[in-house]
Amino acid sequence: MNPVTVGILGSLLLVFLLFLGMPIAFVMMLVGFLGIGYLASINAALPVIANTVYETASFYPYTIIPLFILMGGFAGNAGITRGLYQTFDKWFRRLPGGLGIATIASCAFFAALSGSSVAASAAMGNIAIPEMRRFKYAPKLAVGAVAAGGTLSFLIPPSLGFVVYGMLTEQSIGKLLISGIIPGILLSLAFIVVIIFQVKMNPALAPATPGEVSFKEKILAFSGVWETLLVFFIVMGGIYLGFINPTEAGAIGATALLIIILLKKRLTLKNFSASLFEASRISVLVLFLVAGANVFSYFLALSTIPMAVSSWMAGLEVSRYVILAIIILIYMMLGCFLDAISMMVLTMPVIFPVVKALGFDPIWFGVVCVMMMEAGLITPPVGLNVYTLAGVVKDVPMQTIFRGAAPFLLSMIAVVILITLFPKIALFLPNMMGR
Amino acid sequence: MKIKHLIRRINYYVCGGGMCLLLPLMLLTTGDVVGRKFFAKTIPGAFEISQYLLVVFILLGAAYTQQVKGHVGVDFMTSRFSPRGRALCEMFTTLLSLFIIAILVWEGWVEGIKERTVSDMLRIPQYPFRLLVSIGGFLLWLELLINLTESAAKLKRRTQ
Repeated sequence: MNPVTVGILGSLLLVFLLFLGMPIAFVMMLVGFLGIGYLASINAALPVIANTVYETASFYPYTIIPLFILMGGFAGNAGITRGLYQTFDKWFRRLPGGLGIATIASCAFFAALSGSSVAASAAMGNIAIPEMRRFKYAPKLAVGAVAAGGTLSFLIPPSLGFVVYGMLTEQSIGKLLISGIIPGILLSLAFIVVIIFQVKMNPALAPATPGEVSFKEKILAFSGVWETLLVFFIVMGGIYLGFINPTEAGAIGATALLIIILLKKRLTLKNFSASLFEASRISVLVLFLVAGANVFSYFLALSTIPMAVSSWMAGLEVSRYVILAIIILIYMMLGCFLDAISMMVLTMPVIFPVVKALGFDPIWFGVVCVMMMEAGLITPPVGLNVYTLAGVVKDVPMQTIFRGAAPFLLSMIAVVILITLFPKIALFLPNMMGR
Repeated sequence: MKIKHLIRRINYYVCGGGMCLLLPLMLLTTGDVVGRKFFAKTIPGAFEISQYLLVVFILLGAAYTQQVKGHVGVDFMTSRFSPRGRALCEMFTTLLSLFIIAILVWEGWVEGIKERTVSDMLRIPQYPFRLLVSIGGFLLWLELLINLTESAAKLKRRTQ
């Protein structure tokens, strides 16, 4: 059999085992192992997995993953979400759907401290949804706003999505993180527009919240956001100016949040160990996926498929934007079944060489890619954020959450199109960076 | 039954021990940056200690992650199967996972005891950490074995 045939058979086996429900990391290791054994030799294949696991687990830049998760956990423990929500409620009460807007804004600010979107959905679900229901918001709008807002954590740095993308494609993680800032703000604004538009069309969705807020109260409400802004500017400012690398930024961010928790006397053993267990679980999950992806990529490289596909794609007589649109469509479909990180590790070995061969900017593609994965968090039938939210608000059916999130999905696509038309939106900040 | 709970308990505490290393990792890196920026002093070997801490943290957490079904899979198809079909499917994929993790454990050991490298600054030998691939992998293997017995029990209950 020629290598390409072996590669295709291997990929088919991978898909088959995936659908049987085998853990994705183990599937990639298994198929990679069998493929390398066939294409090279069994002696070459045997040590690959053990070595890859060790090399992945001991690679210094990856320490950023547990640190980013820990930041999110500590931010949750510090009670920052509640403070954010109260502040934004005071600031946006006059606007149509004010509490919904406050939800999106709080999610965006929480995202500036947390790398995990599930943490954001869970934290905001517990705070924002009871509040919106108290003021008779339509459940669809309330849960939709939280589900969509939660995905912002995936785009606004610190973001796990960019870290994994950077790991798989060997791009600068610092630049990727910085490149997420402006698209993140843009997407948050787009979400807010979606809410205002919906409420304008149908005011019954969100009755106005009674009670005036004086100017003085609005100024005092700033106390709810300063911690977030401070930590965000230390962490991202440090990376942007080239003072610290992203890993160091993660450590400093987590330490700063721990100090805030201690100062507020909110440290409990239960929350603390829950944050650590969460960091452990997600880091192991991600690093095993990356190790599996590395084994599998090694096999794919032996099969010469990535080269064959990218040279074939580059030779096609169509606009590169057509191929980009196809890639985005593939991501939309995969997003319906796979979680974000798995999607990235499974597709990047083939997609990234294609994107590079087509002459797209790798940092820019990182932003597009992360946004597509973000969309996958709220698309049916499998949307991780929706599942999390369904666990938090037990009396709202899953369909309602998916339906509520749908309008926000459209605004995500709109922002992706905007970034494709004007790549500067994503590339402006990273291009100005210190290094 | 008792052994199963014992293994689960061990894996829980092993992960709990490993995860505590995240705090020294965090403080070490922060201390290194603060020392470098404000006092022009670095902590010698901070880089390599961080690497070793990450290895221990990750490998000791591997089994617990399986315990809480943290190694994600796609259940979109299998959730539509009959309970019997699902149990059969689980058994089949768990057997394959056991096979590949067994190779990880075995080769982790073979490669680990061959390792003679020491770290650059502090000259800490690498082999104990290499061997953790095997040890952490073995705990993960045990966890998968528990899953296999559970799927088999489900299947048995169905056929009876």
